[in-house]
Amino acid sequence: MPAEITDLSSVRKSVEQANGLPNAHYIDPAVFEEEKQALLYSQWAGLAVAADVPEPGDAVPISFLGTPLLLLRDKAGDVRVFQNICRHRGMILVEEPKKIRGAIRCPYHSWCYSTKGELVSTPHVGGPGHNTHEAIERENLGLFEVRSHIWRDVVWVNLSGDAPAFEDAMADLIERWVEFDKPLYHGGTDSKFELEVDTNWKLAVENYCESYHLPWVHPGLNSYSRLEDHYNIEKPGQYSGQGTLVYRQLKSDAGDMFPDFEEVGEKWNEQAEYIAIYPNVLLGVHRDHAFAIILEPKGLDKTVEHIHLYYSVPKTSDELRRTNTAMWKTVFEEDIFVVEGMQRGRHADMFDGGRFSPVMDSPTHCFHDWVAGQVDAHRFKSRAAE
Amino acid sequence: MSEALDAQMMAAHEAHDTRALVRLYTQAADSSNDVDAACFYLTHAYVFALESGAPETRMLRARLMEYGRETDVTDPGF
Repeated sequence: MPAEITDLSSVRKSVEQANGLPNAHYIDPAVFEEEKQALLYSQWAGLAVAADVPEPGDAVPISFLGTPLLLLRDKAGDVRVFQNICRHRGMILVEEPKKIRGAIRCPYHSWCYSTKGELVSTPHVGGPGHNTHEAIERENLGLFEVRSHIWRDVVWVNLSGDAPAFEDAMADLIERWVEFDKPLYHGGTDSKFELEVDTNWKLAVENYCESYHLPWVHPGLNSYSRLEDHYNIEKPGQYSGQGTLVYRQLKSDAGDMFPDFEEVGEKWNEQAEYIAIYPNVLLGVHRDHAFAIILEPKGLDKTVEHIHLYYSVPKTSDELRRTNTAMWKTVFEEDIFVVEGMQRGRHADMFDGGRFSPVMDSPTHCFHDWVAGQVDAHRFKSRAAE
Repeated sequence: MSEALDAQMMAAHEAHDTRALVRLYTQAADSSNDVDAACFYLTHAYVFALESGAPETRMLRARLMEYGRETDVTDPGF
């Protein structure tokens, strides 16, 4: 692979002068492999939500960019992420979501692991009926645990293991949303859905973090959430998005509404924010509900959006909750044709990455600038290692 | 091992009936006069008990420990 596949110098210019990322960042498998390391493995990436494993022993195998992982809630209630392989022969341990009632048993030679990842049984390892051997030090052969952290119910993972501590990496956003640092309750089975989209995952980020498209793609919002009621959010190198100053709570015919997050503060009465946390997590906060979208990059032009809705209390009105899910589903489905259209558009070889509206597109440019910076740094490290 | 026990074991494997596997392998161990053979069956009973979180887990591990076939830990690790 050549050291530099794309020239990113124009991406890193100011928004007035910059071009967007070159086509290759959406259609070239070699760049996808580079970005896998530079943007996803080496950062705190979103993998799933803790609500996917609500009870101790719940285990869900997840393939993240080809790496087999196991999301698991251990017997003490802590959510952990392991590489989903046995330390013996590298066999996949868990093929389907299941409840681990005792230990994780490898289906090949039955080496067993506790839900904390400890190797607890090595049957016949010293010969038939002899289950220990001095060469097999169980204490050194636990499952490979992936660095993980739960925030806003999202399970964030750092596969490279060398990113700054999560609290440091996300300190600015944690502080920005400190009023929302309250218990979150997943709305349950009617409050999650998936959208399979034929696009590179980055286009979903880019579309999410700007409000420029709202009046055209989501005309239903025009009646109360006009373009001028939105503001840009930008934290270079970390996140970008948009906010609204006219959030209106969902109300049933009887006038019922979702309860607010406790003491969330007057500031959020009509304000809501939608932020893309680099690389692949899209979050939204409102006084009475929140959502998390995990973008699962399935390939160069395949992305699955995992959408989860949260509330301030464990039990909310079924009707209101379902209406809210349907409302958001409509909004996110309205975005599909643009992210798929932009993906197809990346095959037009005369496209130069495009030009940004200096006023309306700066959150998207902020993301591109981060991508370019991370990819450049990755290329520099790769060259230095040669 | 008797043919009847062998057949029951095969059926339990086929049905993924872990409770039965724990019971049948323990039975096979109990009916064996050879220590290695007994420990072979005990190991299987123990592994299926361990996997399923069965109450027999500690007892089976203790039996294997008596023969020096398992490590001397008070908690099987979870």
